Amino acid sequence: MALFRTAQIIKASKLPPEGVKLSRMIDAVYFLPIAYLGVFATFHMHFDLLAGDWDFWIDWKDRQFWVTVTPVVEVMYPGAIMYYFWTFYRQPFGATLSITGLLVGKWITIIFAWYWWANFPMNFVMPATMVGSALILDCTLLLTRSWMLTAIFGVWAFAMVFNPTQYALFGYSHQPMVVDGQLLSLADYMGFTYVRTGTPEYIRIIEVGSLRTFGGHTVWISAFFSAFISMLVFTIWWQVGHFVGQSFFWVKGKRGKMSRMNDVMVIGTDEYAVRHGGLMGTGVPSGATLAEGKS
Amino acid sequence: MNAKNILKVCVIGSLGMATLGLTLVVDTTPVAAHGERSQEPFLRMRTAQWYDTRWSPQKTSVNDEAMLTGKIHIAEDWPRAVARPTRTFINIGSPSSVFTRTSNKVNGTPMFTSGPMELGGDYEYVIKMRARLPGHHHIHPMLAVEKAGPVAGPGGWMDISGNYKDFTNPAKLLVGGTVDTETAGLAVGLFWHILWGILGFGWIAWFAVRPMFLIRARVLAQEGGDALMNDPADRVAAYVMLGTCFVIIAIGFFVTDSQYPYTVPLQAGAPLIKPTHLKSDLTVKVLAADYDVPGRALRMTLSVTNNGEQPLSIGEFTTAGIRFLNKVGVANNLDPTYPPEIMAQDGLHLEDESPINPGETREVKLDSRDSLWEFQRLMDMVHDPEQRFGGLLMAWDESGNRHINSISGAIIPVFTRAASS
Repeated sequence: MALFRTAQIIKASKLPPEGVKLSRMIDAVYFLPIAYLGVFATFHMHFDLLAGDWDFWIDWKDRQFWVTVTPVVEVMYPGAIMYYFWTFYRQPFGATLSITGLLVGKWITIIFAWYWWANFPMNFVMPATMVGSALILDCTLLLTRSWMLTAIFGVWAFAMVFNPTQYALFGYSHQPMVVDGQLLSLADYMGFTYVRTGTPEYIRIIEVGSLRTFGGHTVWISAFFSAFISMLVFTIWWQVGHFVGQSFFWVKGKRGKMSRMNDVMVIGTDEYAVRHGGLMGTGVPSGATLAEGKS
Repeated sequence: MNAKNILKVCVIGSLGMATLGLTLVVDTTPVAAHGERSQEPFLRMRTAQWYDTRWSPQKTSVNDEAMLTGKIHIAEDWPRAVARPTRTFINIGSPSSVFTRTSNKVNGTPMFTSGPMELGGDYEYVIKMRARLPGHHHIHPMLAVEKAGPVAGPGGWMDISGNYKDFTNPAKLLVGGTVDTETAGLAVGLFWHILWGILGFGWIAWFAVRPMFLIRARVLAQEGGDALMNDPADRVAAYVMLGTCFVIIAIGFFVTDSQYPYTVPLQAGAPLIKPTHLKSDLTVKVLAADYDVPGRALRMTLSVTNNGEQPLSIGEFTTAGIRFLNKVGVANNLDPTYPPEIMAQDGLHLEDESPINPGETREVKLDSRDSLWEFQRLMDMVHDPEQRFGGLLMAWDESGNRHINSISGAIIPVFTRAASS
């Protein structure tokens, strides 16, 4: 017994063997050079513009802004990419693809820009990893098959596990030390000891918010706040994916009436031919014509 | 492709090759400064006035200690076009972190974070450093002002020899033990990134081993396609992955928490540094000033009164970290290690060089003339939004005591030699 339903799906696609082979070649060309590189390049730029400093410098990783800003920004692209892969292909890896792509971009920057070119040690510019959060998000979508439930439960978990995930990477940097009679965290000292001409200390946006109640559990207040904002942002970006990713055609029916076909994937299928009595160029006799296309 | 097109390609290709070839004959000396000359003159002359800057020692080996010291006067005549120094940080301008900074004291107070400075205040900074990257480096003190940006001080050359691989930067922890900031937490960070990377790429690979796009899109468009692609194996994999993620996150968190029981948040305080003030027996008022653009000179007419008990001789005018001295200044304040490219030892001329006697008020005509005005791009004042100058005037008594006045005033450009005469 086969592990997957692959044979059934291929059979249902009604593609001949050479068509199946060609589709796998398209998978390879489309997925790696186009989808993956495109996502990691644009998402990396998008993220660096909105949350770059917080996620590079170790002395920016505070309990308020870093915890709040990073999940909110990191859930944006996954929202749109998940819409696209799920709606058109039922593929539940949009978030993981986005976040791993982002990290590929980040590590290229760390190695070539920060370490090789600017001579900063890699631990000083180590980014957070939200791959765990992305996996939770993708699994939630696959299991619930609902973007609304994914937004409520998956995105909430996406943001809430951010701090515990990162604590394993950066906990060491909060060890206290005394320099010139003043208490600092190791992260503060690293930010001080490595000279950054263009980013003086006051550039840091840390610890200056009002998310401080409940006995000083600042990080969890920030995480909750971030989770709620992330839900909102995810739904907006899911709709962005819908807006950008939709394809439709204006189709002229038998009686000459123009109607909009929202799902372009139906074009060329037997179902389409049956529904519309045929399509020009398919050999199926009909009165339906493809009048105009837009994507 | 016809003959005409082939010719076109050959011509364009030849031009391209020639352009590339030119780069081999053009002088490609590396740029080794920080654009301080590109900062506008009013910004450099009337904000941070640097003096007594020292780079010591100028030659070090990797891991050696070095110091960058000096004083900074915050100009009273701070430009309106520049944000006030309510939040500032005395920084180092260097090509990357060629030195690490181990201590930074301003008027004796540690300055790890940014703090306010007062107009008219004087601040002495002592920055201790540790040589890190071998090379010939141009190092500046730098005053970073929030909302205004960094103001570069004078730049001096420091040489570091040795091998970067030998560099360590030990940091002693309060709870005991020492870590090297070059490598602390690196292995742990890499481990977690690799672990999550394996899980992430594994998840994608789980779906990538099967038809991914075209076939699924065709099936999805059919009746029942969605149900067909709800594969039970995928659902099991999703449950396993969800559980794995939560377990890994929990283990990582609790193990780290037990490993580091004592932690502190990032520190965001501001140092309160008490300023000192310049001391001088002279009272100086700027009566008139112009800058002779073709003559490369700043000419001032000052009303100077000696309120002290000893005769005083003017010996130096310093602005934007550039020093103009005469014989008095050279005799009293010549630091042989000061970068010669920003110091004019015969750059200050007085119409009457005799000392100003106690109680005397004299109209002093002073001329600081040198090609440095042009070379350091201070003659660009005519393009500034405020036509004013500023700087520090230094005088000495017979005992060698220094008297410093911060001066500033309106200034008029003189564009032609005829007009200047």
